[in-house]
Amino acid sequence: MSDQTLSNSAGDTGDSASTSQVRIQLSTRHPDIALPENPGPILVNTNLRRYALSTLVNALLQSEKPIPFEFLINGTFLRTTLDQYLTANGISAEITLNVEYVRAIIPPVYLASFQHDEWVSSVDVLSKTSPAAIWAGNAGTKVPGQERILSGCYDGLLRVWNMSSEVIATSPSADEGGAHSAILAAKFISPTQIASSGLDRTVRTWEYSEDADGFSASITPKLELHGHKMAVNSLAVHHPSSRILSTSQDHSIRFWSTKKSEAPPTPENLLPSTSFKSSKRQKTGSSPTTATRGSLSELKSHTGQVSDTIFAPNDHTVAYSSSWDHTVKTWDLPSSRCIDTRSTSAALFSLTALPSLNLLAAGSVARHITLIDPRASATTVSAMTLRGHSNAVVSLAVDPQNSYGLVSGSHDGTCRVWDVRSGTSGNEGKVGHSLYCIERESAKGRGKIAAGEGVKVFSVCWDSDVGIVSGSEDKRMQINRGKGIVGEQPS
Amino acid sequence: NIDPESLLPKLPSPEELRPFPTSCYTIFRGHEARVRSLAIDPSGSFVASGGDDGMVRIWQLFTGHQIWSVKLSKEEAVNAVRWRPGTDAVILAAATGEDVYLIAPPMSENDIDPELHVKSRELVDAGWGYAANGASGKAKKEPATQWVRPGSSLQDKGVLVKFSLRKTVKVIAWHRRGEYFSTVSPQGQSSAVAIHTLSKHLTQLPFRKLKGLAQSAQFHPSKPIFFVATQRMIRSYDLSRQELIKIIQPGARWISSFDVHPGGDNLIVGSYDKRLLWHDLELSVRPYKTLRYHQKAIRAVKFHPGGLPLFADASDDGSLQIFHGKVVSDMMENASIVPLKVLKGHQIKKELGVLDVDWHPTEPWCVSAGADGTCRLWA
Ligand SMILES: [Mg+2]
Repeated sequence: MSDQTLSNSAGDTGDSASTSQVRIQLSTRHPDIALPENPGPILVNTNLRRYALSTLVNALLQSEKPIPFEFLINGTFLRTTLDQYLTANGISAEITLNVEYVRAIIPPVYLASFQHDEWVSSVDVLSKTSPAAIWAGNAGTKVPGQERILSGCYDGLLRVWNMSSEVIATSPSADEGGAHSAILAAKFISPTQIASSGLDRTVRTWEYSEDADGFSASITPKLELHGHKMAVNSLAVHHPSSRILSTSQDHSIRFWSTKKSEAPPTPENLLPSTSFKSSKRQKTGSSPTTATRGSLSELKSHTGQVSDTIFAPNDHTVAYSSSWDHTVKTWDLPSSRCIDTRSTSAALFSLTALPSLNLLAAGSVARHITLIDPRASATTVSAMTLRGHSNAVVSLAVDPQNSYGLVSGSHDGTCRVWDVRSGTSGNEGKVGHSLYCIERESAKGRGKIAAGEGVKVFSVCWDSDVGIVSGSEDKRMQINRGKGIVGEQPS
Repeated sequence: NIDPESLLPKLPSPEELRPFPTSCYTIFRGHEARVRSLAIDPSGSFVASGGDDGMVRIWQLFTGHQIWSVKLSKEEAVNAVRWRPGTDAVILAAATGEDVYLIAPPMSENDIDPELHVKSRELVDAGWGYAANGASGKAKKEPATQWVRPGSSLQDKGVLVKFSLRKTVKVIAWHRRGEYFSTVSPQGQSSAVAIHTLSKHLTQLPFRKLKGLAQSAQFHPSKPIFFVATQRMIRSYDLSRQELIKIIQPGARWISSFDVHPGGDNLIVGSYDKRLLWHDLELSVRPYKTLRYHQKAIRAVKFHPGGLPLFADASDDGSLQIFHGKVVSDMMENASIVPLKVLKGHQIKKELGVLDVDWHPTEPWCVSAGADGTCRLWA
């Protein structure tokens, strides 16, 4: 695409009376790509598609480097010619169409798979733009020049990978101070700190350090945090305040400090292995070299497994949580009080926030994602429902470059990419459909997979540098990334 | 001229009766032969299953990850697994051949709260003292069986107690308070139905003269009443007075299983002659409704235990059927029963299909055990 074609296209839009035409009114919600002056309704040929409209907007913007745009008409992305759109929706070409343009969301193309020995339960990325690196950068800490991916695995091990699919560090085995069974959650707290949790009821923090050459690194146990009575499903970390939140099958959330000096001692009765045969205890008991601590507080109010939690994006003294008890709760952390409860129609398995929209997204057992406005002023529980998955939605992450975008991971074996501007209104309120569906590369040629068998996605992470990283029952971590300019008809 | 159809009460459509399970979410693979029995634990997090491979396995509910297993027998099938009710302890009863085991599964070394595990072990072990001291003074006759340690290799796995009955045990049912459980050995004649007291390690045989072959037994959810099904009848007994209350006559030729509604006044009965029968005990000893949907024998029936108006059956035709079944407290009004969904997925192996079904304690989710060696979660 050259500047020349751009201006040619723009020049074409007004003439050619032989084909049918329609008036469009262009608009956008993003000031940085807004037109310098409102051009009013523009008469265009109805045979135009997304690409030609994108060319037109770039011409109006006089962009030096063309930006690929997508077009929303009545909440639906244009995937056909305008004429086909009008026909399909029974709209007369006589009216002026309101057309909203947005930066195109690039289709995520398969890049690589990193093989593990067991199911991959959790993934996280350390890059220049990841939260852990931004916190560290703000604090003046050096961030590694290259991207790193962290995986938690059902074999009980954490691994840090480079982008060439090489493991540069592995956490120690249970005998040497590592986790006792499957890891369920893993996150970078900072470029030198990792948090993990799992079936062994324990939250752990680790020192992560890379050799100067960057080819090898180590993961060393730092703190064992005891308090949960059942498996610890998920973690949220906030480095500036040295805080961790964990959620458990035991219906509770616990709040922890990553600082040894700040954390209370572990209650004696909560230490593992006190009740088991002494012979085994000696073999697999907690490592004497790793310090153990208890939680700062316990957040109790849910009546089912707590599936996920996040710190409020703009206030680390507030947390949100989702539970099998169907609710999303808001917590005031200093007082450990539940200050708000939103009930939905089904068990919730995952949670994330869309900060600029003041919305929370909760993934449900009932195959959908519910968008919830947690503010006290909100009048409806569900602002929108995203539909398309065919099994529980167990992991959510936001698009790092589009405040309206998110990705979901499901036990159906897919990740789906959504833009909440896209949706249609129906009986049950506004319903959104996914833009892209990422399948498992390991499932290629297997057709439709019943119950997501062998390919269930357990975790998904979206980083602007690395792309969409997902961990699955297929024992692989898969990377997909938007590449190049969007095609005429992405599928 | 009135259309008689128009006089019938209009049934709501399945769409209006959501939520109920509609599709398979998880397939649990691991058993090397038929899965005979399965049950979701009282916390709603795990599934226990037992099968022809002599194994008991415990799985994470949604991921299908197997977290624990034990081999109870080299030759015999595990025919029944049932969790003790209540979340104060984690105790599983399992039957293989003539043997019944009580297990405090430690999952894996550090995966269970030590306090909860200690409590579970204490509850199972409490009866040792009674067997040694109390029994000699009180018991009039020889106990029906001795409760013993199962041997160190099983004890290391958390299998803490074993006792043997005279014939193969096919059914285990707990009393809601977790102090008593019953077993049924259809070929056991005078010892076919046994009631066991956990805290005393005591087995009693209250039905010395049972008419017919025992098939299943259940405790009433709130009253001291005990139900025993033989091939054609279900008898209810007053446990405190030790007398027969009622003989329920489903009209089936061979009852396979039955379940008591959490409210206590309604029963569902499944039969090998393909029938599912709903009994309103206040109404009649005859069925209130007969449902014939399956092509083959019905193996198991189960009410939702946690207040959702749902029940399910499992059949050798390879399917489960989900029904809406709402019990109304109004004496003038009868239960409304609506078929909601047929769940298909299990393969039929040697004429056998789905052998057991259980519900999640609170959610509209159920699990099924298949002759195809899989368990499945439906939601
Ligand atoms: Mg009635």
